[in-house]
Amino acid sequence: MSQYESNYYGSGGGGGYLQGGSPFSQGGSPGGMRKTEVSNSLRPFTISQLTQASQAHTDAEWRVDDVEIGQVTIVAQVVSIQKQTTNSVYLLDDGTGKIEARHWVDSASDDDSHKWSSIEEMRYVRVTGSLKSFGKKKYINATHIRNITDPHEIYFHILEAITVCLIVERGPPSNPGSGPATAIKAERTTGNVSVYSAQSNAPAVNDQFAHLPQLQRSIMRFLMSQPPQDEGIHVAVIAKAIAGGSNDANKICEALDELMDQGHVFTTIDDSHFSLSL
Amino acid sequence: MADEDREHTPRVNSARLADFIGKTIRLPCKVLKVDGERLTVEAADGGQVAVNATPNADVSDTFIEVIGKVNSPSSIQMLASISMGSDLDMKLVNDTIELIHDRRFYNRMF
Repeated sequence: MSQYESNYYGSGGGGGYLQGGSPFSQGGSPGGMRKTEVSNSLRPFTISQLTQASQAHTDAEWRVDDVEIGQVTIVAQVVSIQKQTTNSVYLLDDGTGKIEARHWVDSASDDDSHKWSSIEEMRYVRVTGSLKSFGKKKYINATHIRNITDPHEIYFHILEAITVCLIVERGPPSNPGSGPATAIKAERTTGNVSVYSAQSNAPAVNDQFAHLPQLQRSIMRFLMSQPPQDEGIHVAVIAKAIAGGSNDANKICEALDELMDQGHVFTTIDDSHFSLSL
Repeated sequence: MADEDREHTPRVNSARLADFIGKTIRLPCKVLKVDGERLTVEAADGGQVAVNATPNADVSDTFIEVIGKVNSPSSIQMLASISMGSDLDMKLVNDTIELIHDRRFYNRMF
């Protein structure tokens, strides 16, 4: 069930995009900013996932299913609380495993002590913090804790953890109810790989250009799938590649003009060669 | 990871109790009847389960989560219980339980 087993969703796709493996994901694309983005991100987990997390060396980032993680949030039951002078240890159990959450006491803050003193054993809580390890034992360095007041949140958290797990594996869902997006999905899931749907780019394009009309998006996808060349790509090649009978030359020219106005493409050696502005 | 290697209390409905005989589980349920320490509860899938409660267990809420050991496909020995209030969407709970046990996620996340 790893992302490498199923080609359906563009296995190269998820991986290539996330690890910035594609030549097109450098610079302007989201790939370039990943490092800080991930370390500042917050992802819901089950405790079982956290106990399976690994790091290459003690200073390296944690990885779950070979994907880097940042801050974590879990919903679990407090099994026991050990209060010490400088820190408190909360043993948490969410049904999938147990993990300790450590909180360093900030005696200067009344607010803080009030928040942490309202936590009782046996109740469900949401804990947010970062994953650490001491020796071989993992724990959460907790920055925030609160009681769960609505039991639905326990189930929401489980479903959210599943959802995020699938998004990390397959990329974000395409916008439901919009025709073009469904078409792209169908194309990807049938495995009917055409020359311009280079798999490693599909999720990125989906994401970045989701707001564009279908024809413009097809053009962008085609241009991204082409090897970079200084002279750009001739309009006739573009027209040929995305020739669905309904797309006549005028429409393609209009779409290209529109993309140029928005700064997505520019003309190169003459007015009929186009290149991507990344 | 093998089940025996970890402290693992999966959430279940009544239909899945048979797969966990002798194991410890979590059963989100609605309290139907309290007779001393013998409870009759309705699991998320609508099936009735007999629960041997611990003395002084707080079962005053309409919905509780029983942590217990499975004796038979229709009875469990309570180890602890957690109050879940008076409003809980049991269809949502059951759908979530079925996803937890889906083989795409079970060994990997739960």
